[in-house]
Amino acid sequence: MNGFILIAGTLIPLIGSLFLPLMGRFNEKLRNIMALIFTLAALICAAGALPGVLAGEPYSIRFELPLGLSFGFYGDALAVFMALTAASVSSVIVIYSYGYIHEDNQNEYYMMICLFVGAMMGLVYSTNLIAIYIFWEISALCCWRLIGFYRTELTVQRANKAYMITVFGALIMLIGFVGIYGQTGTFELTAMKGMYIPAWAVVLILFGILSKSATYPLHSWLPDAGVAPSPVTSLLHAAVLVKIGVYAYARFFVLTFKIDEIFTAAVPVIAAISAIISAGVAFRENDIKRVVAYSTISQLAFILLGLSSGTKIGFIGGLLYILAHSVAKGGLFLCCGIVEHTVHTKDIRVMGGLAKNMPFTALAFIICAFSVMGVPPLAGFFAKHLVIDGIVETGNVALGAVFIAAAVMTVMYLTRLFVKVFLGPQTFPDVKEGSPVMVASVMILAVMSLLLGIFIYWPSQLAAIAWGGM
Amino acid sequence: MNYLDLSAEAFLLVPLATIIIYNICPKKLSEKYFYVFAAAVAIIQIIASVSMFYLMNVLHMREHNFIFLKVLGKSGMGSLCITYFSPVFLFCIGLVSFASVMIAMHTIDAKKTHYVNLLMTLITGMNGMILVKDLFSLYVFLEIVGLSSFVMIAMFQSKKGLEGSVKYLVMSEFASIFILTALALIFMQTGSLSYDAVGSFLLDGAASSQKMMIYFSVILLISAFAIKTGAVPFHSWLPDAHQSADTAISVLLSGIVIKIAGVYSLIVLTRLFSGIEAVHVTLATIGILSIVTGALLAAKQNHFKRIIAYSSVSQMGYILLGLSTGTTLGLIGSVAHVFSHAVFKTTLFTNAGALHEHFESLDINEMGGLQSRMPVTAFSSIIAFLSTAGIPPFTGFWSKLLIVMALWTSGNPVMAGAALTASIFTSAYFLRLQKKVFFGPLPDRLSEVKEVTGSIKFIEILLTAVTITVGVLFPMILVYLQNAGTI
Repeated sequence: MNGFILIAGTLIPLIGSLFLPLMGRFNEKLRNIMALIFTLAALICAAGALPGVLAGEPYSIRFELPLGLSFGFYGDALAVFMALTAASVSSVIVIYSYGYIHEDNQNEYYMMICLFVGAMMGLVYSTNLIAIYIFWEISALCCWRLIGFYRTELTVQRANKAYMITVFGALIMLIGFVGIYGQTGTFELTAMKGMYIPAWAVVLILFGILSKSATYPLHSWLPDAGVAPSPVTSLLHAAVLVKIGVYAYARFFVLTFKIDEIFTAAVPVIAAISAIISAGVAFRENDIKRVVAYSTISQLAFILLGLSSGTKIGFIGGLLYILAHSVAKGGLFLCCGIVEHTVHTKDIRVMGGLAKNMPFTALAFIICAFSVMGVPPLAGFFAKHLVIDGIVETGNVALGAVFIAAAVMTVMYLTRLFVKVFLGPQTFPDVKEGSPVMVASVMILAVMSLLLGIFIYWPSQLAAIAWGGM
Repeated sequence: MNYLDLSAEAFLLVPLATIIIYNICPKKLSEKYFYVFAAAVAIIQIIASVSMFYLMNVLHMREHNFIFLKVLGKSGMGSLCITYFSPVFLFCIGLVSFASVMIAMHTIDAKKTHYVNLLMTLITGMNGMILVKDLFSLYVFLEIVGLSSFVMIAMFQSKKGLEGSVKYLVMSEFASIFILTALALIFMQTGSLSYDAVGSFLLDGAASSQKMMIYFSVILLISAFAIKTGAVPFHSWLPDAHQSADTAISVLLSGIVIKIAGVYSLIVLTRLFSGIEAVHVTLATIGILSIVTGALLAAKQNHFKRIIAYSSVSQMGYILLGLSTGTTLGLIGSVAHVFSHAVFKTTLFTNAGALHEHFESLDINEMGGLQSRMPVTAFSSIIAFLSTAGIPPFTGFWSKLLIVMALWTSGNPVMAGAALTASIFTSAYFLRLQKKVFFGPLPDRLSEVKEVTGSIKFIEILLTAVTITVGVLFPMILVYLQNAGTI
C-alpha cells in the first residue's frame, strides 16, 4: 500500500495542473500558491518514499494490463534520488516565477510547469517502457509550450525546433522499445533485468537519450531554447528536463539491460566530443544565456561519462553530478534571468560592473559558478572528481585528460562570463537589484550548493544504494 | 424481440423512418427544426451502438446474426450480422453525424431539407455496409454512400463544389466498374457472393485458371477500395472533394465516409482473402506510401481544410498498415485508429468551421496569433493534432502503438520502424499550421476576431473531451477487451 505515495507524488501535480487555469480565472494569487503546493507535494511524496529505500524495501505498486503493458510505480534509490532533486529545484523555480513572470498566458505557464513536474515524477517512478515514453512526451509538450511562452515569430520557431528534435529522438527510441517488445513480449523493465539487448536497439534508444539530454550531435535545440523566460530555461534546460536523458541511460543501460562492451567505450567518446565542442563554443558566445546553455551541454557530457563508465565510482559521481548540476546550473540561469530583467539585454559585451548594483545576485552567481566549475567544498567538486576518477579507473587515461581539459575550459568561460557581467566599469549605473523573491530564490540555490557540498555524504549514500540495482 | 435485436434493427430502421417522417412534416416546421430530426437519429445511433458493444461483450458474442424486419414476415428482408468490431464503426457514424448536424446549424442556411434527407440516406448506406453479409449487398450500399456523397458535395452549386464532386464521381465510377467486374469473376468461381462462401473457397485445390481469376479480382477490389479510401496513388480526388464541400459535409466525408466505404470494405477483403500473402504486402505498401506522401503534401498546403484532408490520406495509411498484418491485434489497432481518426479529424474540421466565420478563404497565411482570440478552438485543435501525431496520452497514440506492435510481432519490423519515423512528418505539418494560425504574434487587423459560440463550440469541447478521456483511460479499454476475450 506504500506504493500509493508514489502515485500521489505523480498524480497530484499532473491532475492538479489541469485545474490551475480555472483557478487563474478567478484568483491569480490562489493559482500561484496552488502551483507551489502541487510541486511541494511531489517533493514531500518523494521524501516519503525515502524510508523504503533506506530499509532496502522500495515502495512499489503494480497494475495488470494485457499485451505486456502492465505497469507499476517503483520507488528505488535512483528514482527517489531523481525525484528529490527535480522536485526541490522545481519548487525554488516556481517561487522565482512569482517575481519574473508578469506577461499574459500565466495560466498556461503555471499549468505547464506543474504538468512537467508531474510528468517528471511519473517518468522516474515508472517501470514500463511505454509509461516512460508517455511521460517523456508529456515533458516534451510542456517544453514546447514553455519555450513558446512569448508569442513572437522567433520564439514559436525555436519552440517548434526543440519539439521536432526531441520528439523525433523519442520516436526513434520508441522503435527501439517496440523492438525489445518484439523479442520479449513485454514492456516491463522489472521483467527484463539483466537481459541482453542487441546493439541496434541500444543505438535507437540512444537517439532518444542524446536528443533529450542535448548531447552532440543532437544538441542544437538547447542553446536556441534560451528565448524562453529564464525560469523555464532554468527548470527545463538546465535543472530537470535535460536530466531525463541521462536518467534513462542509468535506468536502462546501467541498471536493467546488459549491453555490448562496445558501448562502454563508444558512449564516453561521444560524451568527450560533446564536452569539448560545447565548451569551446561557450567561449565564443556573447549572449549570456547561450553561454550558460552551452555550458549545460558540456556538463551533461560529464554526467553521461560518469554513468557510462561502468564503474561504481563513476556511476555515483554521475548521479551526484545530476544533483549538483541541477542546483547550481538552475541557480545560474535564474541569476541570468535577474540580470536580463534589470538591464533588458542578453548581450554580455554591453554589461559590466553589475556586482555593485546587484551584490546578492553576483554572490549567488559566483557560488553557483564555483559549483559548476568544481571548486571545493561545493557539491560540484565531489561530483566532478568522482566522474573523472571513474573513467580513469577503467584505464582510459586519455579520456580522463580530455575531460580535465573540458573542466579547465569550464573554469575559464564561466570566469569570463562573471568578469564581463559583474566586474569592470559600470555600464548601467542606475539599475537596481532584482525583486526580493527572485534574489531569495537564487540565494537558496547557492546555499544549497554549498550545503550539499559539505554534507555530500548523505546524497552519496543514496547514490551508492542506487548502484545496488533495481 | 429482445434488446439486442431491437438495437440491431434500429441502425437501418431509424434513418429510413426519419426520411418518411421528416418529409411528411409541414415544411415550416421541418425547415426550422431540421437539426432536431438529424441529431435525434445520430444520438439514437450512438446509444444503440454503445449498448450493442456492451451487450455483445457481456454475452461473449463474436457476432450477432439477425433478420431485418422479421416482424413483417417469416423470411424478413434479408439476413444481417454484427461482428465484434462493428459497433465501433456504428458508433463513429453516429458521433460524426452528430458533429455534422451541430456544424450544419451554423453553416447551412439553404437546402436544409436536402441536407437532412441526404444525411439519412448516407447513414442508411453506411450502416448497411457494416451489417450486410455478402459482397453484392456491400456493393449496393457502397453505391448509396457514394451517391449521397456526390450530391452533398455539389449541393450548394458552387463551382468548386461541382468540380470536387465530379472528380470524386469519376474516380468512384472506376471503383464501381472494378468492383462489379471483380464480383462477377468471383461469382463465376464460387457460385455465391456471401462472405461465408467466398471465405471458405479454398485456393489450394483450385485450378490455375481459377486462381488467376481470383487474384485478378482481388487486385480489382483492392484498387477500388483504395480509391474509396483515398489512399496513394488514388488520392487525388480526396483533397478537392473534401475542401470544396461545406464544412458540415467535409466532416462527414473525411470523418467517416472514407473509413466506411474504403477501410471497412478492405477489412472485409482481408478477412475473406487472408490466405493470399500478396494482399498483405500490397496493403502494407499502399499504407506506407500514403503515410509519407499524404504528410509531405499536407506540409505544402496553405488551405486549412486541404491540410487536414491530406492528413486524412496520411492517417488512412496507418489503418491500412494495421490491416496488412492480418492479425487480431492489427485489426484492433486499425479499428481503434478508425475511432481516433474519426474523433480528431472531426474536431479539426469543426475548427475549420469555426475559423470559416472570420476567414472566408481559410488561407492559413491570413491568420496568426489567434490563440488569444479563440482559446477553445485553439486548444481543441492542438489536442486533435497531438492525437493525430500520435503523441501520448491521447487516443491517436494508443491506436498507432497497437498498429506498430502488431506490425513488429507479425514479422514486419521495417514497416513498424518506418511507420513510427514517418509520424514525425505529421508533427511537422502540424507545427507549421499551429504556428501560422494560433501562435505567433497577433496582427492588429485580427484583434476583433471572436470565439465561435453555440453548437460549434459545444462540439469542439465534446470531441476534445472524448480524445483526452479515451486516451487516458485506454488501458482500461484494453483490460475490458481482455476480459471479453478479444485479445
